[in-house]
Amino acid sequence: MSPSAANHPVLDPLLAPPFPQAALPLLRNPQLRTNVAHAIDVIQAKRSRLVKEKSDWQELRDAASAIRTEALANLDHYLEQFEERCTRAGGTVHWAADAAEARQIILELLRKEMASEVIKIKTMTSAEIQLNPFLQAAGIDVFETDLAEIILQLGDDEPSHIVVPALHVNRSQVREIFARRMGLENLSDDPQALTAAARTYLRQKFLNIPTAVGGANFLIAETGSVAVVESEGNGRMCLTLPRTMITLAGIEKVLPRFQDLEVMLQVLARSATGERMNPYTSLWTGVTPGDGPQSFHVVLLDDQRSSILSRPVERQTLKCIRCAACINTCPVYRQTGGHAYGSVYPGPIGAILTPQLMRMHHAQSLPFASSLCGACYEVCPVKINIPEVLIELRSQVVDQERRQFASIFDPMFLGMKIANLLFQKAWRFHLGQRLARIGARLFTRKDGWIHSLPSLGAKWTQTRDLRALPNQTFHEWWAARTKEAR
Amino acid sequence: MSSAASITSRQKILDRIRAAKRNSANGAAQVEAANAAQPRAYVRSGKLPTEARIALMIERLREYDAEVLESTPENLVASIRAQLTGSGKHRFVLPEGLPVDWLVTGFDWKVDNGLATADIEHAEGVVSAAFCGVADSGTIVLHHSTTEGRRVITLLPDWHLCILRASQVVETLPEYFDRCPQPPALVTWISGPSATADIEMTRIKGVHGPRILHVILVRDDA
Repeated sequence: MSPSAANHPVLDPLLAPPFPQAALPLLRNPQLRTNVAHAIDVIQAKRSRLVKEKSDWQELRDAASAIRTEALANLDHYLEQFEERCTRAGGTVHWAADAAEARQIILELLRKEMASEVIKIKTMTSAEIQLNPFLQAAGIDVFETDLAEIILQLGDDEPSHIVVPALHVNRSQVREIFARRMGLENLSDDPQALTAAARTYLRQKFLNIPTAVGGANFLIAETGSVAVVESEGNGRMCLTLPRTMITLAGIEKVLPRFQDLEVMLQVLARSATGERMNPYTSLWTGVTPGDGPQSFHVVLLDDQRSSILSRPVERQTLKCIRCAACINTCPVYRQTGGHAYGSVYPGPIGAILTPQLMRMHHAQSLPFASSLCGACYEVCPVKINIPEVLIELRSQVVDQERRQFASIFDPMFLGMKIANLLFQKAWRFHLGQRLARIGARLFTRKDGWIHSLPSLGAKWTQTRDLRALPNQTFHEWWAARTKEAR
Repeated sequence: MSSAASITSRQKILDRIRAAKRNSANGAAQVEAANAAQPRAYVRSGKLPTEARIALMIERLREYDAEVLESTPENLVASIRAQLTGSGKHRFVLPEGLPVDWLVTGFDWKVDNGLATADIEHAEGVVSAAFCGVADSGTIVLHHSTTEGRRVITLLPDWHLCILRASQVVETLPEYFDRCPQPPALVTWISGPSATADIEMTRIKGVHGPRILHVILVRDDA
């Protein structure tokens, strides 16, 4: 079955079903789970080998975290510096307060270029603002050039990972998509042949389409430069051959100094793809006469980022360099894959970023899509304490629900209110214990276990047994023991 | 050329950021101090002796399936000739700043003094110098000077012969940055030929950039 034949994944948090609901069909899809698990195992093994060989890994993480923290602490300063230096080097900087404004700026730039087609470097930020459907609707053909993005675009599918977006698709599915959409009936499913087909398909586009849109891994404030980290060379093609280059970047992507790359490039490749260094990294500064695009634009996107910055616990979300190490290590992601998250940002980072980008008005189920095992924090190269942010966001979601009138009748809130009363006084607590012991006796079997409870209690006993309550609490035992001693 | 709306958004975004920080913009001095106070306890300088550093560079390049040949400075032109002959290709591009004696006879050379893209696409290979080599990751760094060429010439041809001098090879990435007192305007860090692992995480060489990377390591350190 091709991915396009399955239900089309919804990655718009405004429309996506809650995580547990979206995860169900994916959990029942053995092919998808095999594909995801295989890809994750390969990346994880490579990453862990290369991180182990780095004796200064923790020192690099400390430095990377400090660099990102400081960049955010002085974000206004660095953005203005970036703008000034990029402009001085011949670039043009645009500011977009939200997604709609960013889309409009890019469309206007393309209209000015009379562009009917555009080539793209993979950028999750453009997926976040849903740029492709917007441009298509405006009559501009968009050609993704990253291999994974081509697979998704031709297969009418959506990304399920931020670094390897098509990891849920296997080689025979890719073969089917390419054969159908490129008209290559005799294509084999050898990855070498599939890659060669993509190379041929794109070569003419690179040479002929004069306008490109891409993202940025880093914006360098000190020099006004932009850095793009990639593997295939499609990025270099887009950064070199077209007449006009448009870069879309979140405002948080700034690094203070050129030299900061000595840390970021070391941690990024190892964390993202388990390589000592990715095949190609490009850095350019405005416009270079005679070399590359002679018209260069940067669109700086806020879209809730400044509001995330204003919250002390959640602010660290913006340190993210999109390496996906947290996604690859997450036991939840490993089971569901990325589409369950209903956002272009899946996994632990998506679980904290997406609801915040939605101002906590949508995607409220995502902070709960975690076991809080902490693996994500451990691997994060910029030391984002994801569990801490998850817990903070969970409390906000619970507060939202509590404020709703219906919560008065909600068993969970009712239970919490009763618990609150019981825990206030020792005598109430002891009374509660005694009543529970009497009540539980009705359901306790001879083996000392409660195997099934009625009504709401069944939610617990459906999946696990409950130990019977002991006949004596510690308090009672202690009191009896003291009495005896006298 | 920012539109009026964009200028308003600029102010709006900066205002929001400053409000988020609950103080006004830090002065340049404070920013500088914050920068200097950062922990930088990671390894900056390598510890390997020269021979081991060069050996590591070669080992890493070979792990990327790049072919590496060592050469003395005197033998360089002969080594270039051998590599070109071995490639089985005929049409080559050369950046304009390289010595003319690298243009060994018997091949069809195009010196890039602003060649059209079609001409470069027509070439089968390219010969270039480099700015630096980083042994730790087997990375070749190009700054796209006149000896390394415009970005496009080391991108379109399928075969890239890079001439790297041993004195340009450092052990760690921070050592490369130490060699850049002035940040360069253009940089390409190349670690092995173009590759992808997008299909089942199987590494496939040569998607869009040169599929074949050859390196001549010139032992100018001896």
